[in-house]
Amino acid sequence: MTEEELLLGLRNGEEPAFKELVILFQDKVFNTALGLLQHHTEAEDIAQEVFIQVYRSIGQFKGDSLLSTWIYRITVTRALDHLRSKKRKKRFGFLSSLFGDDNKPVYEPEDFNHPGVQKERKEDAALLFKMIDQLPENQRTAFILNKVEELSYREIAGILNSSESAVDSLLQRAKQNLRKKLKDLPP
Amino acid sequence: MEDNTSDKRTERILNSLDGLQRSAAPNFFYTRLTGRMQQEEQPGKEKIFLLKPAFVTAVLSLVLVVNIFSLMKLGGQPAKNENRHANKPATIESFAEAYGMNNTVSVYE
Repeated sequence: MTEEELLLGLRNGEEPAFKELVILFQDKVFNTALGLLQHHTEAEDIAQEVFIQVYRSIGQFKGDSLLSTWIYRITVTRALDHLRSKKRKKRFGFLSSLFGDDNKPVYEPEDFNHPGVQKERKEDAALLFKMIDQLPENQRTAFILNKVEELSYREIAGILNSSESAVDSLLQRAKQNLRKKLKDLPP
Repeated sequence: MEDNTSDKRTERILNSLDGLQRSAAPNFFYTRLTGRMQQEEQPGKEKIFLLKPAFVTAVLSLVLVVNIFSLMKLGGQPAKNENRHANKPATIESFAEAYGMNNTVSVYE
């Protein structure tokens, strides 16, 4: 199916087109969410929400960008919204237990291990992800899209509605911040 | 010498994601996705806001505050009334006034 055929099928609400879309993009969406959220279950939840949003709002996609860019953009937005919501819940711990659907306390997982990291680098990667978690949102997003999703500067610029030079600047600052944090760690 | 070791360590950690393989979506992702979409389309599944604990707590707190305020206000009034009537002897006219009987028209008039 070409992208035009896929879009036509999606706009007509055809199930085979939607299934094709999910098969094409599920790994990209999940991997991006996983890199940003560092939590498997949350990443799956967000990935589902991304496809639900795509299904419901495909009529709003005007074709100004590639379909993949649009989907990545939705993924990044959803993931960052979820992160902000988690931080708010942490800050107001008592109140969050009143607002939570099931009144469970906010769970803090152990070190995150990305399943795609080479075995001999797992420990270093877990430490790096901890430091990435402390980066500002825009630097974190650019770094994850570049290092985890292996997108080019051009693709990242499209997703972030930015320029390639701005993406380069974000990545440089992200690396500087990560170096500083890593140097401050005890040996 | 130590700085050199520290720099090497930093660069090693910074490059630990090189060669990372993209993580695949969980098994049966599409099945779970469509299951969730079907569930969300069912009516009556949204949690009624009025039943959320935070909302109930807020309303009860407001009622409590209003009650306390009312009690405090009422607590001051009997003393004022008592002072007003303390020196007035009880008479038939004051009794009639209290029960709104001073305006009745006599059948004999």
